[in-house]
Amino acid sequence: MKQISPVTRLLSKAAFLSAIGLAAAVPATAATQGALGATSTGSVVITASVPNRARITGLSDVTFTSQDPNSAASNAQNVCVWSNTATKGYTVTATGSGTAGAFTLANGGLTVPYSVQWAATSGQTSGNALTSGAASASLVSAATNQSCASGPATSASLVVGISTNDLGGMQAATNYTGTLTLVVAPV
Amino acid sequence: MKPAFRSPGLFLLLLAMPVGVSAQQARITKLVDVNYGTISNFTSDLRVSQNICVFDSTSANGYRVTATGSGTGNAFTLASGTNRLDYEVEWNASSGQTTGTALQPGVSLTGQISSATKQDCGSGPPTSASLITILRTASVQNATSGSYSGTLTIVISPT
Repeated sequence: MKQISPVTRLLSKAAFLSAIGLAAAVPATAATQGALGATSTGSVVITASVPNRARITGLSDVTFTSQDPNSAASNAQNVCVWSNTATKGYTVTATGSGTAGAFTLANGGLTVPYSVQWAATSGQTSGNALTSGAASASLVSAATNQSCASGPATSASLVVGISTNDLGGMQAATNYTGTLTLVVAPV
Repeated sequence: MKPAFRSPGLFLLLLAMPVGVSAQQARITKLVDVNYGTISNFTSDLRVSQNICVFDSTSANGYRVTATGSGTGNAFTLASGTNRLDYEVEWNASSGQTTGTALQPGVSLTGQISSATKQDCGSGPPTSASLITILRTASVQNATSGSYSGTLTIVISPT
């Protein structure tokens, strides 16, 4: 059996994206001043606008060690994606470190492609395939805290894989490395 | 016939008048609305302080301050539809301060002394107290996006 060793390493990188989507006018009720009296009452109006924000956390590096090329490599991890929009909606866009953002690992001139899947719930071992540089369809997060410090501990699944065909084409005893960048945008 | 001002009834009236004139009175002025704008800082508390005029006519210039918000149960919350954004309120009996004693909705803070010498601070110190409102990082970071607003009411009572 052919072994690929010792390590094929895929780095994942978190990305945080914010989008200011709010410029809404706020009520302009003026402050009121108190009159001289046994008691005196005044008031102020307080306004604040919270823009759309999203955050992705809880990412871990992916390592395939001594991968048997006869078995497809797959790694699923639970991550936290949070969106503060009213619908808690977001899109995710993935890019690799290969040419033109391709999902490839490399060692010098040697490269091997990998796949990226995304599920909007945690605990999944498969999801919708992501295409490099293309935003996913609108998804909904269950996260109630921006870092999942409270509420659900994770809210999405990231699945990275290498097919048996691609594993078979890799050079043995060679480390392949790449970086996967994920951008989450609120919608 | 004796002059009218020597009558017992007139003496009683003159003695009663000073009671009304010396009634304890207070006034709060120079309040301005607080606009945090579109929040871009999600990593530190957002604190806004304003200098205001609190006048008190008592000999000791003492007063108590009570704040209420427009949230449920007078809570210090801003609203955007059904979404809420908590804020905090602090009070300092000196102007120019960025921190003070935390106020709780509807709970009087006693023992405050005003340095104002005119009811509207038209002369003497131009302001005499600091009103501080705070949006905590934890609240802002997890708030649903939207435009929030609320009213903070301050009542000054002489003591």
